[in-house]
Order: sequence, then structure tokens, then C-alpha cells
Amino acid sequence: MPPRLFQLLKEVLSGIDSSHREQAAALTEVECQELENIFALLILGSFVGLPAPPSFLAIELLPFMERELEVLHCRAQDSGDMLAELCGTLGID
Amino acid sequence: MKIFFFTGKGGVGKSTMAAVSARQLSRKGRVLIVSLDPAHNLGDIFGVVNKGKKDKLTDSLFLQEVDVHKLAQEYLHNEINVLTSTYSYLKTFNLDSYFSTLKYSPGIEEYALLTSIARTIGQETAFDSIIFDTPPTGLTLRFLALPQVSVTWIDRLIDIRRRILEKRYTIHRIKGSMSSEPTRLAFEEKDDDILCRLRALKQTYQDLNKSLRSSDCHVTLVFNPDILSLRESERLITGLNELGLPLRLLIDNKVSAENRDQAAEVERKMQALAPGVQLKRIQMSRELGGGANGGRLGDMQEEILPESW
Repeated sequence: MPPRLFQLLKEVLSGIDSSHREQAAALTEVECQELENIFALLILGSFVGLPAPPSFLAIELLPFMERELEVLHCRAQDSGDMLAELCGTLGID
Repeated sequence: MKIFFFTGKGGVGKSTMAAVSARQLSRKGRVLIVSLDPAHNLGDIFGVVNKGKKDKLTDSLFLQEVDVHKLAQEYLHNEINVLTSTYSYLKTFNLDSYFSTLKYSPGIEEYALLTSIARTIGQETAFDSIIFDTPPTGLTLRFLALPQVSVTWIDRLIDIRRRILEKRYTIHRIKGSMSSEPTRLAFEEKDDDILCRLRALKQTYQDLNKSLRSSDCHVTLVFNPDILSLRESERLITGLNELGLPLRLLIDNKVSAENRDQAAEVERKMQALAPGVQLKRIQMSRELGGGANGGRLGDMQEEILPESW
């Protein structure tokens, strides 16, 4: 019995630890995603009608921008409901 | 290795001057003359049909005509190949539609031109001089400005990229090994493909910028004794000054007995704009008939470039 209890306690503690870490990193993560979004927009802006850097630069970097494209895509999809987005960011349920 | 650019308004005799200079230089060393003008005249002047490969005209003179359109297509094709092999889930984002857009993106031809110049300067080190016969003013200024413009953009992008990596590093430190991310994102600067590529690009442009501004680079401006040519040359001189490219020689081409007074006037104005730059006057050759791009090299024996070059 005691070893199982010990195991359970360990899991609970590590859960609390990980949840705190997640919470602490959450805002930075949002910020990071936002930066990635801006980066993608700056490079691929010519595809959505923004003034963009010389387009060859976009083509040079495109092969490595899988993640940035993904973020850009998600942001574009979520932008329809900014309120929900804001509540999500601030952790309001 | 010396680099020469022949610039000027269309029809002033850039290609002919470049060809004569190439012949002059080829008596002293190995010369490669490269035509960047989409309306390739150099082949006609030398009387050969060049198909994008290096043609041997004499033991020390080689000719290459660059097909800009083909270069641009090749470049895009290569990039698209890298893309399709890198992206694992191409269909999700309909990247195919991006590709078809890329084909029409402006600036690709300038970039292809610039890449071809950079490649020529980098690879053809066995030559003592490389002569570039450039396309008309507008395009020339645009592609010569490209390295500088690009470095500015790349610097900004590197800035943002480094901030992203800093954030990622922070997140990595907070979360430690418990990260729930399915794939680990690069947070070290040396692991990030995008940053590495940006830095490599910056290096390429800085090298090119350096060789274009060095004392071995000679920009020659060809003009005619008429007002249109003068106006365009004025704009070109201003543009070259803004870019910090070294203008070394002015050539007043097609001067005849009838326009001698005007030639003197135009030359005076040009020298006022570009003080200290050598000027060379070329008489209109009767055999050439005065027609643009009609020059046959055998008819011209003049020494255009200063002896010391």
C-alpha cells in the first residue's frame, strides 16, 4: 500500500509542477506564436496583398517555413472570433 | 580580376563599346564578355550564335549571353523541388496554389540577373577581366540596388528571427523536459534553418556589394550627344551615386561633324555631374551607317579604355 500511495503522490506533485510550468510559459508561447505569425506575414505578405520584401527572399525561405505557415494559417482561421481568442489567451472560461 | 559594367540608354552603343573594349583588353589578358541585355546584340556584333554557353572567340576572348527568362524559370524550378521534398503535408495547405503565384512574382528576373552576376564573378576567376553589357537603365539600376535593399530587409528579418528563438529558449527553460510539443522546436541559433539561410544570404550579398564597390569595379556610362540621352544619363549618374557604385569612364559616342557643338555642350554638363571622371569621345563611324546596334567590330579599331586599365 505505501509504495502505491507514494507513487500516486509523486504523480500528483509532478502534475502540479507541470501545470504551473505550462501556465508560466503560456503567455510567452502566445507571444512567440504572434512573432512567428508576423515573421511569416512579413515574408509571405505578397501573397495576401501586403508590401513584401523582394519575393525571391520568400522563395528562398519558403522551404523552411512549415511551422510559420501553420501558425499563419491558424491565426487567419481564428481571427474570425477575436473575443474567443482573447478569452483563451487570458484564461477566462 | 577587374569587373566592367557598360551602362546607358538603349541604342547609344553600349554593346559596341563593350565589344571594342573587350577586344582591347583581350590583347593584354583573358577576357569574358557577358551580355545581360535581353535583346542580345553581342552575338550579332561578334557574328556568332550563342546559346547560353561560353563561346570562345579568340584565345583570350570569351562570350556568354545570359538568358534571363530561362534563368528565372530554372531558379524557380529548383526552389519548388526543395519545397516539395521538404513539406510532408503539402495537400493540407494547398501549397500548389502558392507555387503558381510564384511564377508571376515580380523581381524574380532581377534576382536571376543578380545571381548570374554573382555566380560569374565567383566562378570565373581564371579571367583577368569580366565585361558586363547591361540591359537598359531602369532594370540595371534595379538589380544593382538589389544587394543593398536585400541586406536591409535581411537584417530586419534576422532581428525578428532572433527574438523568436529567444522566446523559444525561454519556453524551453520553463517547461524543461515536460514539454508537450510533439516535435522539439529549434531554439539554438545554429539549429535554426531559417536563421542559417538568412545569414548565408546576407553573406552572399555583402560579398557582392563589396566586389561591386571595390576599386576593381569600373562602371562605364555610354551616351550620345542628344538631350534624351543626356537626361537619362543624368538619372543614371544620380542612381549610381545613391548606390555608391564607382563611375569611372564617360563615353560620348556617335559624335559627327554636324553635332559637334551639341556634343561639347552635353559633355560639359556630364562632366559637371560627374567631376573627375575621364571622358572619351568616339566619332561616328561612316561605315556603320549610324544605325543603332549595327556596329561591326572589324570597322572599329579605336582604343576606348585608358591604357592603364
